[in-house]
Amino acid sequence: MGIKSFSRVRAIHVMLVYTGGCNGCDIEIVNSILSPRFDAEQYNVFLTWNPREADVLVVTGPVTHLNRKPLEAIYEAIPNPKLVVAAGSCALMGGVYKNCYGDIPSEEIEGPVENIIPVNAKVPGCAVRPQDVLAGVVSLLPTLLDAD
Amino acid sequence: MFENILTNPIIVVILTILVCFIISTLLPGIERKYIHARIQQRIGPILIAPGIMAPLKFMFKENVKVSSPVSGLYKALPVICFIVVLCILIALTPQAYQIPALASLVAIVGFLKVEEICYVLMGALSKSVMSVRMPFPDKIKGAAHNNSNLSFIEDISARRSLRMITYGSFPLYLALFAPITAAGSIFLQDIVAYQQANGPFLFTISGGIAAIVFFIGYMIILNEYPFSIIKAKSDVIEGPYMEYAAKYRAVVYLTRGFFMLVLGCVFSVLFIGIPPTIMSLGFLVNILVALIFVFMMGIFSAFAPVFTNRQLLPTILCTSLLGILAIGLGLL
Amino acid sequence: MDKKVPRSNIIETEIPMGTVHPAALEPYRVRFFVEDEIVQEAEITIGVNHRGIERIMEGLPVEKANALTEKICGICSNSHIWNSCRTAEMGLGIEIPERALYIRVIMGELERLHSHFLYLAHGCEVLSHETFSMRVFYLREIVMELLAMIGGNRVQYGCSVLGGVRPRCDLDEAKLLRLKNDMDALEEGLTGFVERFLADSIVQSRITGIGVLPQKQAIELAVTGPTLRATGVARDLRTTMFEYDEFDFNVITQPDGDVKSNLVMRALESFESIKIIRQAIANIPEGKVVNRDWEMFDIDITESYIEVPRGTLYHSYALESGRVRHCIIRTPSMANIGAMQYACIGDQLTDAQLCIVQCDPCFTCTDRAIEIIRR
Repeated sequence: MGIKSFSRVRAIHVMLVYTGGCNGCDIEIVNSILSPRFDAEQYNVFLTWNPREADVLVVTGPVTHLNRKPLEAIYEAIPNPKLVVAAGSCALMGGVYKNCYGDIPSEEIEGPVENIIPVNAKVPGCAVRPQDVLAGVVSLLPTLLDAD
Repeated sequence: MFENILTNPIIVVILTILVCFIISTLLPGIERKYIHARIQQRIGPILIAPGIMAPLKFMFKENVKVSSPVSGLYKALPVICFIVVLCILIALTPQAYQIPALASLVAIVGFLKVEEICYVLMGALSKSVMSVRMPFPDKIKGAAHNNSNLSFIEDISARRSLRMITYGSFPLYLALFAPITAAGSIFLQDIVAYQQANGPFLFTISGGIAAIVFFIGYMIILNEYPFSIIKAKSDVIEGPYMEYAAKYRAVVYLTRGFFMLVLGCVFSVLFIGIPPTIMSLGFLVNILVALIFVFMMGIFSAFAPVFTNRQLLPTILCTSLLGILAIGLGLL
Repeated sequence: MDKKVPRSNIIETEIPMGTVHPAALEPYRVRFFVEDEIVQEAEITIGVNHRGIERIMEGLPVEKANALTEKICGICSNSHIWNSCRTAEMGLGIEIPERALYIRVIMGELERLHSHFLYLAHGCEVLSHETFSMRVFYLREIVMELLAMIGGNRVQYGCSVLGGVRPRCDLDEAKLLRLKNDMDALEEGLTGFVERFLADSIVQSRITGIGVLPQKQAIELAVTGPTLRATGVARDLRTTMFEYDEFDFNVITQPDGDVKSNLVMRALESFESIKIIRQAIANIPEGKVVNRDWEMFDIDITESYIEVPRGTLYHSYALESGRVRHCIIRTPSMANIGAMQYACIGDQLTDAQLCIVQCDPCFTCTDRAIEIIRR
């Protein structure tokens, strides 16, 4: 293990972006990082709100129309190497909101997240459990370590 | 041969700086793991994560084009900050006492001022994606004021840093000048010599009060909670540091830990009379003082919310009055 | 309390925040019009979350539509499904077993606890007081585990169904015992927290007199729920709901309408919720939990109001051959947006997000009925 991988595995900065889900996933993720019960910091996962600092972008929600451009802008602002975790069934496949009009495509829902930015890990669940979020972020580590 | 090396002042200074730097990288980790996490009843990150591993990781990140009108200057600012902190440490070492212009309190105050001005420039030059540049259709009908000029959140932060220069850093400077009243000289050499002859300034009444004032000034200049208004998370997110990425963010991280240690050394020189040099056992006192400061700061910051201007002004006013009292007592 | 400054036409600067911001738990845009760091005017733009739930519900079978209302909001999901079932039950005249009503009340109060704890934790986080925030999150975990025990999921538990509650959510002896013990633990933890919180003079100086919403203004803006009660108006729909007839509880009010009143309000109301849950555990009747014996017929628009953690929730729809028609949902945050904008005025910019948070915003709830005109 080189010094690059060694340092990356010991400091992971996570940024959260909510794109219009039902709040359930958002609060579970905040819970997994802020609550001392789960305490993501013991795995050296730090919460940040600045895209310039982030390594991993955690996206929840089905990406509503007004949220599409902010999401893209934040993704652009993160320096490489960067990874994206889509958390919750809305972020994975649009949830109950996608295709709600049958054959007519919904104007409101631009998601799932995959349509907008490349996704590296998917965490299923409605709503996601905090343990799953941590597992999802940790499962990305091999990809992050091998990146240039 | 070996003795020659150890008597060469330049090599001793370089060795001192290196040891200080290595210890300083541990300080943010100590604050985060052993104080904040313990108070919050959780395990917390490993010791080396915030101070060493995070900067190393940022070193290996790809550089991005910084969104700033003068990106060259903006990128240079953290490096300038680092050099300023380095200069303060050099000025404190006994080898530097040969150069009276450097090893005086006026020089240290000047360096600290440069550091503060850097915050203003950083804030003014940073144009982050998180506020105005967020692509969102804001120009809707029914807005209260349609033609007002837009400000980035960092502009607010720059204005706050300017305000902190005018009154926020008063306590620290008052505390720095308090030892002069006892030693009667602005040169570090004389201050150290006086204290080695007459016992530490800390253990006089005036010195005790000045030490409290110094501690509050230390928290203010490090922008730690509760005095972190220039980077309050509830409105300006990270303030001046918003746009730094990759290597420059690594420098920002390193500077913070280094600055904590150097301010601890400033205290031990001015109030205890032990200059930092690895040639004497007194160096351990320097480290100990820095650690005690970090511990105290961690405890205070874990139990305090961020102060707004409403609370800052009275706090700083009271602290400044205490500082004036300390100087007055020293003069009597 | 005349802190509000007169509105001037020329403003120094405008600071937009959002849609992603650390102080916001959900995407919304807020523009502060600021003069010398004092907020002169605030404007909240919602519609960022709009997904069109009511449109999706239109034409769905009523059982499916009820399940869908849970997805309106991840914080008060149980309230939505409860009120939606209640609407159909009122229209169709379904009789609900006594035991099911008790379980619904227990779930409703547990949800109020978790919502209020989230509010306290989030409020402390916006204050940048990480330690208090973590302590409340730790207490909240007790409630979350109880919800997971009863409903099987941590967030959306789908407790209510037409005619009662899901048989999965029935409470046996062991569950009731655990509920009882955890209520004791929760009360102890919350008492400790409130004592610490009120004794912390730094925090008190930070939150007293901030974001004042006068009582007159609150009534004018038709504010509902705890935000209204924090201004001194004792109005709680639970006193009129037949589910709560057999329970004895107090309507908590606080005098000032500032952040302190709001935070203390929520903490004291949590004690009342614990009291209600204890009464429910003691008196829960035996019997079945769901009544399957009912007829479906067409009904005209039926309305139902209940008190949810954040205020008054309104559901209304008509049924046509078992399908939902003309669905309207009005959530408490819709009424409270005015209060959020008003509370910011005249305060420091650092406090502005706190003033929005004090009204307990839930914009994912709110963003349904808005038509976005796109050019």
